[in-house]
Amino acid sequence: MAPEQGTTAAGVPDARTTPAAQSRSGAVRWGAGLRPPLWLVITATVAAAAAAIPLVYLLVRALESGAASIIETLSRGRVLEYAANSLGLAAATTATALVLGTAVAFVLTRVRVPFARTWLLISALPLAVPSYLAGYGWLVVFPSLNGFVPSWLLLTAVTVPYVTLPVAAALRGASGDLEGVARTLGRGPLQAFLAATWPSVRPAAIAGSLLVALYALSDFGLVAMMRFPTLTWGINAAYSASFDRAQAATLALLLVVLALVVVVGERTARRQLPRAAARAVAPRTVGRGMLISLLPVVAVAPLVGVAVPLLGLLTRLLDAATLRAIDVPRLLDAVGSTVGVAVAAALLAVLLALPIAALASRYRGRLVTAIESVGYLGHALPGIVVGLSLVFFALAVVPALYQSIVVLVFAYAVLFMPKAIGTMRAGLGDVPPRLVAVARTLGLSPLQAWWRVTVPLALPSVGIGALLVAIATMKELPATLLLRPTGVQTLATELWNRTVVFEFGAAAPYAALLVLVAAVPAVILSGVRSSAKEEL
Amino acid sequence: MSDLVVDGVSVTHGSTLAIDDVSLSIRSGELVAVLGPSGCGKTTLLLAIAGLLPVQSGSITIGDREISRARRTIAPEKRGIGWVPQEASLFPHLSVGENIGFAVPRGRGGQSRSSSFPSEVAEGAAAGVRALSTRSAREARIAELASLVGLGDLTGRAPNQLSGGQAQRVALARALAPRPDLLLLDEPFAALDTQLRTGLRREVAELLRTQGTTSLLVTHDQEEALTLADRVAVLHDGRLAQFGTPEEIYQHPASDWVASFVGDVVELPGQWRYGRVVCALGSVEATAVGFTPADGDAVRLMLRPEWIVPRPDLLAQAAAGADARVAAISYAGHDAMITADLVDGPSVQLRMAAVELPDVGDDVRLAVQRPGLAFAAQ
Repeated sequence: MAPEQGTTAAGVPDARTTPAAQSRSGAVRWGAGLRPPLWLVITATVAAAAAAIPLVYLLVRALESGAASIIETLSRGRVLEYAANSLGLAAATTATALVLGTAVAFVLTRVRVPFARTWLLISALPLAVPSYLAGYGWLVVFPSLNGFVPSWLLLTAVTVPYVTLPVAAALRGASGDLEGVARTLGRGPLQAFLAATWPSVRPAAIAGSLLVALYALSDFGLVAMMRFPTLTWGINAAYSASFDRAQAATLALLLVVLALVVVVGERTARRQLPRAAARAVAPRTVGRGMLISLLPVVAVAPLVGVAVPLLGLLTRLLDAATLRAIDVPRLLDAVGSTVGVAVAAALLAVLLALPIAALASRYRGRLVTAIESVGYLGHALPGIVVGLSLVFFALAVVPALYQSIVVLVFAYAVLFMPKAIGTMRAGLGDVPPRLVAVARTLGLSPLQAWWRVTVPLALPSVGIGALLVAIATMKELPATLLLRPTGVQTLATELWNRTVVFEFGAAAPYAALLVLVAAVPAVILSGVRSSAKEEL
Repeated sequence: MSDLVVDGVSVTHGSTLAIDDVSLSIRSGELVAVLGPSGCGKTTLLLAIAGLLPVQSGSITIGDREISRARRTIAPEKRGIGWVPQEASLFPHLSVGENIGFAVPRGRGGQSRSSSFPSEVAEGAAAGVRALSTRSAREARIAELASLVGLGDLTGRAPNQLSGGQAQRVALARALAPRPDLLLLDEPFAALDTQLRTGLRREVAELLRTQGTTSLLVTHDQEEALTLADRVAVLHDGRLAQFGTPEEIYQHPASDWVASFVGDVVELPGQWRYGRVVCALGSVEATAVGFTPADGDAVRLMLRPEWIVPRPDLLAQAAAGADARVAAISYAGHDAMITADLVDGPSVQLRMAAVELPDVGDDVRLAVQRPGLAFAAQ
């Protein structure tokens, strides 16, 4: 007989151990079961609603013209060609990036390479180069480049790190024991790798290559420079040449649908990422000849995506004619507006992201998930789509702001808010609820506890979020082209305007300054937290 | 003064009842231990008292202030209850000194502690320090607390430079700083190694007594509860199984579950006869717990191993003992646990001081030196 149990009033005797078991391990989650405060839900909803404006307004605009008109636009020969080009480019880029990225990751984690860390850093460098800058650098050297093949190869070179970095991390985390077991069970090296290691690497590889696909679908600068007509190019052409807004909206809608499909796939793949702590495989020592033959695999992307473009840029920059023609005031002007919009965009994005991150870091539930997902929309929206939609929105809803810096900064904030949400959510989530509870028992109100405990502990992540937004803003091109007020030029638009008319010399100073200015926050960032580099 | 009264409190966790109708009353200045196995709801009870979890029914009162009842939870910061969590949980961005001084108001008009901590001590101290410059008063208070917990020279350190024991001392000083009416300690010594644990808990108990702080200590360690506390509340499956002094809990457990949770037991089946139990150990005097047996009823006799003593002199009367042979000896230095096979019956365990131990195989005569406990047979 167990006298205490006989008299217990609780209806579910088995379940009684569960919450108590949590309390034993000290993990009573006194925030988890609670509802979020109303003010937080409201502010987060407002921020998410702001992020949803471009997509919603695009839908409104496209549906306004009616289904018949949409179908008519979509069935035009040019549209099909744009779509096929976009899909073909995305598919080809994804395939090559997946193969090359996996190979690089394998070499860097499984072979004893001298200066392995430096090589990993080098292989991440292409992330810092916007596609159009790589395009510019190559055009300087080979002005006749155009069409599918150069677009494909250059896009591959700049996007490979999206595969290399997560796959290298997954390979480093994969259990070497499992592979050893497979070997002792009679599998050869490759079979053992495929049977034991690849399953735990595959989700990372798939998620990474879908990011590549998204990048390729959204890219505007490079394909436009290479005069390869994809959907982004078509949207810009329809908008700027003919001011055929209905057609531009329909094309944008098509592009958004493709991008959303890719993003959903990426989220699904990422959810499967396994987390297992295990002994990794020790890198193998290989002979000098083997090492030298592996070098091209690792070096090709940084070479094509970074070294050649920078070399082209430098040779043109140091050209006597170029140096003589530098228009310093205009250059400084462009630097000023680039830094200005970047700072403004970073502040606005952090401000909008803060309530969403605060909500998502502490609370669960359908509403919270929905708000957070909407906040991440900018991740899926190509820059040119956001630009176009906000042109429509400004003209129709707030004409006073059309062609003003406000709309431009807002576009950046929507586009790059996901970066801020991601880092800040993690930062806020890392603050133990227990510390906040301790502060409460020491006499602080919820707001005081938030200000004296949560904020100081989460501050670095806010700074990182702001820097990531600033870097992305400086490099942004298509939305800037559509939304910049007349007379305002950023480094990116100045570079673009000169490159499309083949004034490579005049473009060089802007390109060089863009590299330098964008490098400043990147350097700060790598000093703050090396893990954030993958976000670049 | 400020007694804590927990009256019929139930707390649910999601859809399950973690604390079920618990009532406790703790006198001012008392140190009470809440003892229970993993998952009995100890921490949940503590969080409810701290105001970090709402109660479903019942009420919690400090002095004449009701601080919790269903649908009404006074905010944690307005309770005047200090909390020392399981893993110190120091603020990583603040120095040791700033951690201790977290709740000590800084500068002019800092939030007034006297309103939320209505003890006379706080009022008196606040009035006293107003004469001094507030800054130096704050520094002085931090230094005082730091030396109180024996860390006078470490106030400049960062929390990650502390050992586990030091971190717990800082957490204690931080909780004591606003002079709480009640201090909650949630297994504060569980993460420390045995040696450090024994020393620190004795020291902390002494400190709390000299400060006159009313304290509630949650633990799953029987020895800790019995040695430190004035009274022990035993919690089982969310219900209060017994509340009494350590001696009451150990010598007079309210149920067989408490008996076997709080210490080792020897259990023998027997028959109730005029206030005694006839069993394999002979006829043993016993008190019935939780029921009134009739003559001839089958009962279970429960004894502590140290209540059974060997009588090698054979002078004892046959009625007062039973013959047994030593089957095994588990030697623990200061004492030993001896397993003895009864001649006509099962084997029993007895604990004796390890001064003069029998050998395995020796014949001994066993007697019971104090009344045992009789529980209803299953």
